[in-house]
Amino acid sequence: MLTVGIDVGGTFTDLTAVDETGRVLVTKVPSRPLDEAGAVLEGLAGLGIESRAVRRLVHGTTVGTNAVLERRGARVALVTTAGFRDLIEIGRTKRNIPVLFVPTFVRPRPVVPRPLRFEVLERILADGSALVPLEPGPLGETLERVLASEPEAVAVCLLHAYANPTHERLVVEALKARRPGLPVSASAEVVPEYREFERFSTTVLNAYLQPLMERHLSGLEQRLLESGYTHGVLTVGSSGGMMTVETARRLPIRTMFSGPAGGVSQACFLGAAAGLDDFITYDMGGTSTDVCLVEGGRPVIGTDNLVGAFPVKVAQIDLRTVGAGGGSVAWLDVDGSLRVGPRSAGARPGPAAYGLGGEEPTVTDANAVLGRMGVGGAIAIDAGLAREAIAMLAGRLGFGVEALAEGIVKIAVARMTASIREISIERGHDPRDFTLVAFGGAGPMHALPVADELGIPRVIVPPYPGNFSALGLLVSDVRHDDVRTRIGPLVAQREAIASAFAEMEARAAGQLETEGFDAGARRLERSLDLRYQGQAFELAVPIQQALVDPVAVAQEFHARHLAMYGHANPAEAVELVNVRLAASGVVDKPAPAAVRGASRTLQDAAAGRRAVWFEGRAVDSPVYARERLPVEATLVGPAIVEEFGATTVVFPGWRGVVDAFGSLRFERDGGVR
Amino acid sequence: MSPGIDPITLEVVREALSSIVREMRITLVRTAYSSILYEGEDFSCVLMDRQAQIVAMSKGMDHPLHIVPIAWSMRAVRERFGDDIAPGDIFLHNDPYTGGTHLNDVAMIYPMFAGGELFLFPVIRAHWADVGGMSAGSLSGRVTEIYQEGVRIPPIKVYERGRPNQAVLDLIFGNMRGPRDREGDFRAMIGTCRKAAERVEALLARYGQPALQACVEALLDRAEARMRARIRALPPGEYVYEAYLEGGRERLEPLRVRAAVRIAGDTVTVDLAGTSPQTAGPTNVGPAMAPTGAFTILKAFLDPGGDINSGAFRPLTVLAPEGTIVNARRPAPCGGMVEVKYCVESAVMGALSQAIDGKITGDIKGGGNHCYVGGPDPRDGGTFIFYEYPAGGTGAFEGGDGSSAVRAFTESDMTTIQPVEAVEQKYPLRVERTALRVDSGGDGQWRGGLGLEREVRLLAPRAELSVLAEKGILPPYGVAGGRSGAPNRFVVRRGGEVVEPSPLPGKVSAFPLGAGDVVIMQSSGGGGYGDPLERDPALVAADVAEGLVSPERADRVYGVLPSAGGVDAAATAARRRELRAARTTVTLGLADDLAERGVRGIAIAASAARRLDVAVGDVIELVPPRGAPLRAWIERVGDMTGDHARVSREALTMLALQVGATVQLRVVYRTR
Repeated sequence: MLTVGIDVGGTFTDLTAVDETGRVLVTKVPSRPLDEAGAVLEGLAGLGIESRAVRRLVHGTTVGTNAVLERRGARVALVTTAGFRDLIEIGRTKRNIPVLFVPTFVRPRPVVPRPLRFEVLERILADGSALVPLEPGPLGETLERVLASEPEAVAVCLLHAYANPTHERLVVEALKARRPGLPVSASAEVVPEYREFERFSTTVLNAYLQPLMERHLSGLEQRLLESGYTHGVLTVGSSGGMMTVETARRLPIRTMFSGPAGGVSQACFLGAAAGLDDFITYDMGGTSTDVCLVEGGRPVIGTDNLVGAFPVKVAQIDLRTVGAGGGSVAWLDVDGSLRVGPRSAGARPGPAAYGLGGEEPTVTDANAVLGRMGVGGAIAIDAGLAREAIAMLAGRLGFGVEALAEGIVKIAVARMTASIREISIERGHDPRDFTLVAFGGAGPMHALPVADELGIPRVIVPPYPGNFSALGLLVSDVRHDDVRTRIGPLVAQREAIASAFAEMEARAAGQLETEGFDAGARRLERSLDLRYQGQAFELAVPIQQALVDPVAVAQEFHARHLAMYGHANPAEAVELVNVRLAASGVVDKPAPAAVRGASRTLQDAAAGRRAVWFEGRAVDSPVYARERLPVEATLVGPAIVEEFGATTVVFPGWRGVVDAFGSLRFERDGGVR
Repeated sequence: MSPGIDPITLEVVREALSSIVREMRITLVRTAYSSILYEGEDFSCVLMDRQAQIVAMSKGMDHPLHIVPIAWSMRAVRERFGDDIAPGDIFLHNDPYTGGTHLNDVAMIYPMFAGGELFLFPVIRAHWADVGGMSAGSLSGRVTEIYQEGVRIPPIKVYERGRPNQAVLDLIFGNMRGPRDREGDFRAMIGTCRKAAERVEALLARYGQPALQACVEALLDRAEARMRARIRALPPGEYVYEAYLEGGRERLEPLRVRAAVRIAGDTVTVDLAGTSPQTAGPTNVGPAMAPTGAFTILKAFLDPGGDINSGAFRPLTVLAPEGTIVNARRPAPCGGMVEVKYCVESAVMGALSQAIDGKITGDIKGGGNHCYVGGPDPRDGGTFIFYEYPAGGTGAFEGGDGSSAVRAFTESDMTTIQPVEAVEQKYPLRVERTALRVDSGGDGQWRGGLGLEREVRLLAPRAELSVLAEKGILPPYGVAGGRSGAPNRFVVRRGGEVVEPSPLPGKVSAFPLGAGDVVIMQSSGGGGYGDPLERDPALVAADVAEGLVSPERADRVYGVLPSAGGVDAAATAARRRELRAARTTVTLGLADDLAERGVRGIAIAASAARRLDVAVGDVIELVPPRGAPLRAWIERVGDMTGDHARVSREALTMLALQVGATVQLRVVYRTR
């Protein structure tokens, strides 16, 4: 029986399948933004596996993200507290788009137009008491108008619902009674924490996606069923955990940002097996590069995100995206400056080397010109077309073709390097203390110069780097993130914390039970969001037990504040804001298979030699087939390692060893510089 | 391009330099002590060169308002210290008269050397939550002299060759509230500069000084070349416009900023001669702010896409006469520098509009809109201070409506109102309404964005309300025939009655509030673009359907009449003819004898005054077909026959109209 992971990216949809013996199959098909299910089925066919042989299927999806960015979601009606129907439009009065000095900028308007925003007379206060009770009569009148507006989904967003969700529940029940089957999102269900704009924005987007996700999942399930797959489709969420179909339908907003999460999960999984705790993931794909800092084997989970200009408050792996990928276009600015990205040639037309009609030079074309691209792969590389595209730009600059190609790669490396430096500094770290874990279709090609720039001494290129994120889907656990807002001095909140956890844990246990996880397969992670009194933002502090010792927790908070901001004030009062629970249902995972020595010597892995350009010179370099590399073999740069979906470029000055899990571990020749 | 620098190295170095600045921001947020820095991010970072040129800033959160004046701060250092600058020296500066902004913004300058010469180095300007002075937080509308606004720091060495000058630091911190936090912020600034210096050192080691220097020059030269190319494309000539600050306490005593924008070849000179003398209130600035405002507008309208560095500034000369509100001398207070900068921007925008065929945007809110409610908090016996500064609507432009209740293109992207749920946790207040302000967007073929309105009820027994806002009387102008946005308005509702908390709108000082009083904040709408009678009736109908424009206004201003489910085309055409005919237009004549005491004067015929219902002392605007309207104070009524108005020769120039031309008049402000 097989477990299948499907990662939908901007350019490619990657599929991986693993059987009980740990054998891995991988493939890639071009992404179909408007027909993800079609790409999934095409990929399964490409893997040559029967749907009925699949035991579990996990997919990451961009349906939600794309729908928001392209504004293709549902017709949503908003029901909110009287006096506040424009709050969703006014927000915090931030532009949230990079338009400083652009007088003609237009602020994106919310997905709920004003005539579809309805007010109900009611008011809850910060302590949860009802200043104005919600009367059935007026509510009924409002809901008649709501339904008359013919919404496809409804968002119910009332002030202070995090403190007391009764009114929201009454509205939801009244709606359900009048129109069963109408998708309804209530703010305290989607994000039960305080700060209304972020909560409302997330809830409205959740409602916006509900009908769409419903169609996507039912369509996918239906087509898989027809092909013989009879189990549920799991969806990976943005915090790296999996969601069942039921959860994904109810909370589609949690599928936002799920794409890059798989790679980080897989890196953590491999890291745990290999005894690697502190590393930076470097995932370079066709359109962008995602980097994430992992400390102590776990990525940081954050909740402050934007989709387009709209806040989305969902638990998400805290990573940084920079618009530099294999498809990034090199271009000349009006003042003659050479720029690379952020515009990408995408999947279509793609880089010139793909032969799909692209004419603009991209990073991939530059690598093809330099002899660094493997020619075999999901898409054939036409080095001649790549050369033409680069030559056009080189002619305008008076540059040699190879010199410009090296330059384009250098500029892309500089941009990616800057983003890695920033995520390290934000957490108070020096990147030189970390290992770089490189994957994605273009990651292993650029990893060593990126490490060189940052002074990172060690680089790991794991097995199947081109399908790494899809593999990560196979090692994700089912996860439910929940939160309760309980504002008050930490010292006085011991009981409140315990009761919040009790409430959330009971709910999580019920969910996991339904999903088939017995008590032994459940894992709980608890944390508290704390701040100094007077601050407007919080730091998460993990705790072990639901019943806390406030003094010890405060000490931990001071220590974390010190590590994060360089100072702490143990004399100041610590305030509790949120109580958080992440409940996981642990799935059995394919063990990282020890590499079977397919061949005995490095020479058996030789796949020829070719001229590869480094620092202005063509150097005759050996080419190896990754799958035939023996364990413990040593690679000395310059060398090229080719495999399906990715090419590793071993730059002069670096040497690598194949470890027992098949990872390539690189260090600088002669040790750390 | 400079010899020896290839475009690849140049781009890699450019990325490295902007990455250093981004890292400075991250480091300061990570290490600052006061929340206005680590939460409010009210600071900016920059790399300078030895010629006091800005080399790199980040295009994200850095404030043009902080950054551009740093060149003046650096020049002040050079003037004071000449070559007496050594490795290990660190300078502090906040003096507005020599390039500071207001006293709360403290600049740290961290010189670095290469080959024995001053080279590339980091500078930070950060808002310190308190720098001493007459009130907590240091900013007050009641000041008459700068000494009431806190400690003035001329360019001084706080470190000399690596050793702290403890005496001067003790003196500085000894005069500020919350010295522990101030020292924490100060150390965070030093740490941030040190980190940046390490990065610059690494760049130096890698590329060598000559190559790095060549890159820096090339980057500045390119930004300059882009601006010059855009300026060359403009019609040469002198374009004049004036904008006003609402000075005074009991009644309006307008302060004028007059901007003459001269375009010659590939250079622009902005001459502010004719601007009001400095005033004994907060709305003055030192020499750096007017150039900052002028630069912001020119860069935004000519080359918004290019790098922001001093190269882009080179084609611009700003002449700000000393002793005026745009270049004040001691002891004029400078706390209201934001308001003055906005006014300079309004004036320069109005003048520039004449050079770019009116393709400017409607004006915006004109200042900070600072609104404070503070008093004893009965819940814990302490005191509370609630502070918001609501954003307004942005101006319309050719081809697009303005955006509602959002930070404008000249401003950093900060939050200006707090979450309702946070306000009600923290303060004895209840927010009862947060809404778009219907009909506040300046009407036009393209409509200005709407302001917001927010109602906040006091739950404590008593508190005080203070407001510092502009454009409460003279609203943000519309352009090309577009109408003004609604003015900013801050009032109190007490038992069903609306109470004006001050004789002059927007200048409220400690107005006493009682339990149950509701503070109503209404921010201005953005100015409109083009004649409202030219607006596509379908867009007007959509605005009415959305409730952004009332049906009455659609009829009265846009002449759009509905039919079942749409627009009644025939009735609309007739209504529009009627409205156009009902406009008050006058034939312009020349008057050489207008007194024009600090404001633009006009004499109008009695018939026109009757139709507009205005009298001497009232403010009207003359609406040219392109560009910004000319605002004028009525000096005389009735000494002419027919629908005539007389203005000075300069006013005619500003309107780009001749004697005998007809022009529409509109009411801006009636004194009664």
